[in-house]
Amino acid sequence: MSEFKLAVQRFDPLTDAKPRLAEYTVPMREGMTVLDALLYARDYLDHSIALRFSCRQASCGSCGMKINGRPRLACYTQVEELGGEKVVAQPLDNFAIVKDLVTDLESFFTKHKQLMPYVLRSDAQELDHPTAEYLMKPEELKKVLQFTYCIKCGLCTSACPTVAMDVKFPGPQAMAQAYRYLMDERDEGGEKRLEALDTAHGVWRCHFAGSCSFVCPKGVDPALGIQLLRRHVLSGKAPRKQGEGAKVWSAPAGSTK
Amino acid sequence: MSLVGEERAKNKRGIWGWLNPYHYNLERWAYTFQRVTGVAVLLYLLGHLGDTSFFVGGPTGTGPSSSSWSFIGSIFENSFGHLILVLVVLVLTFHGVNGIRLILSEFGLIMKKPSGIEYPYRPKSLGSVQKSLVWVAIAAAVVAALWTYLVLFEGMG
Amino acid sequence: MKESRLMLIQYATAVLALALVAAHLIMQGVILPYDTAISFNNILSIYQNWIYAGFLEALLVVVLVHGFNGLRIILHEWRQTAPWSRWVDLGTVAAVAVAVGYGTRTVILAVFGGVSG
Repeated sequence: MSEFKLAVQRFDPLTDAKPRLAEYTVPMREGMTVLDALLYARDYLDHSIALRFSCRQASCGSCGMKINGRPRLACYTQVEELGGEKVVAQPLDNFAIVKDLVTDLESFFTKHKQLMPYVLRSDAQELDHPTAEYLMKPEELKKVLQFTYCIKCGLCTSACPTVAMDVKFPGPQAMAQAYRYLMDERDEGGEKRLEALDTAHGVWRCHFAGSCSFVCPKGVDPALGIQLLRRHVLSGKAPRKQGEGAKVWSAPAGSTK
Repeated sequence: MSLVGEERAKNKRGIWGWLNPYHYNLERWAYTFQRVTGVAVLLYLLGHLGDTSFFVGGPTGTGPSSSSWSFIGSIFENSFGHLILVLVVLVLTFHGVNGIRLILSEFGLIMKKPSGIEYPYRPKSLGSVQKSLVWVAIAAAVVAALWTYLVLFEGMG
Repeated sequence: MKESRLMLIQYATAVLALALVAAHLIMQGVILPYDTAISFNNILSIYQNWIYAGFLEALLVVVLVHGFNGLRIILHEWRQTAPWSRWVDLGTVAAVAVAVGYGTRTVILAVFGGVSG
């Protein structure tokens, strides 16, 4: 195929009552990503297409959009892998549309913050007057490592069937991060985290459809984290920490101040 | 500021996004079927509460009544009623066997441990175990429905 | 009740329902020919056996709790306003009570009621 059709959903809530698909013809080149195609269309065919992107290498999570019906990163999806003669780009489902392909991720970040995506500690003295860094053994890091690769692109939350209906549901991204911090050897927020998840719109509204993990571009596998969370929420008891994470370790000589 | 396209700008998929598994993974299809079959079985169950009450003469009955029971039998014990039963066994078996998969998954019993990740990323939670168990649920449902068909229509059992 | 308790009930009734429903289907469709299994006399003999009658009552409670609790979950995901959530919870309890009540009435009448033609 030397050229292909690129359909872009155009919608400006200020002036349009409903979205429409605008079609552009884009010349194909080897290795072309959907983001490349969109930028070609914007540069040469229609300057008014609104889209958000930044790093072009699946690191920043800005260009999440629905491509041929499924949430994907535009920079990480090659036109060729989509197979057909036509590429359809639409904004991510379940997020408010700002314009065209740009969605408002405010609710997404709010829910992420509500589940406390940071290490909770009780040693106030150490926090105020640190004597060393909080370190983590490599084998302990491994237990949560995959969840730390989350780039907050919103694809998983957009794909989640519960999110499509339940506005109070935290969504897969936030809950996978809740698991990540629950299991963190340095974290002491255990019961508090579990309580936040044990509500009528918490972790139990996941039914393991697995779409979040299916669309995740970074291999985070939020569904895995959520399934592993349940046992802890059910018992109400935080996992017993194997290591000595509750203590501040004396760092190896020369590695800290 | 009022927006012309305010409603559409919310972009919530609603019921359609909830129930439509198109474009997604096998487990998502299983999720939709689990919901639909659950509601279907609940509806059947309520009907079954009603029809079994005719064993004791229906809502106003006072004890086992063979005339009331043969009356309800004359309504449901026919090809149409039996077809309904075959369908109920079909969706019930899927719901049950797929439910076992979900319980095992949700208690982490058939989940792999988290670890580092390597390209190309394949979600550990959606491995071959999940896929095969969904197919086991489908196969079990078909076998159970076939059995029910043979019992009801061919006089087996 | 905490949501985790309600889900524990959901899991427990799911496992129980699997065993009880399987037994129910096998009793009605495999052990005896279907026509015999649903005959008035066979069902009467089932109810006159305390173990079988207790089994049917347990089946009734387990599947209704599981079914209506499942519906409650779906309805909570459907809408999230405060009145809706309250009515869904109350409605679930009421529905289980009414349905279990009606089914139990059948069991009680079948066990203790006078047989008529």
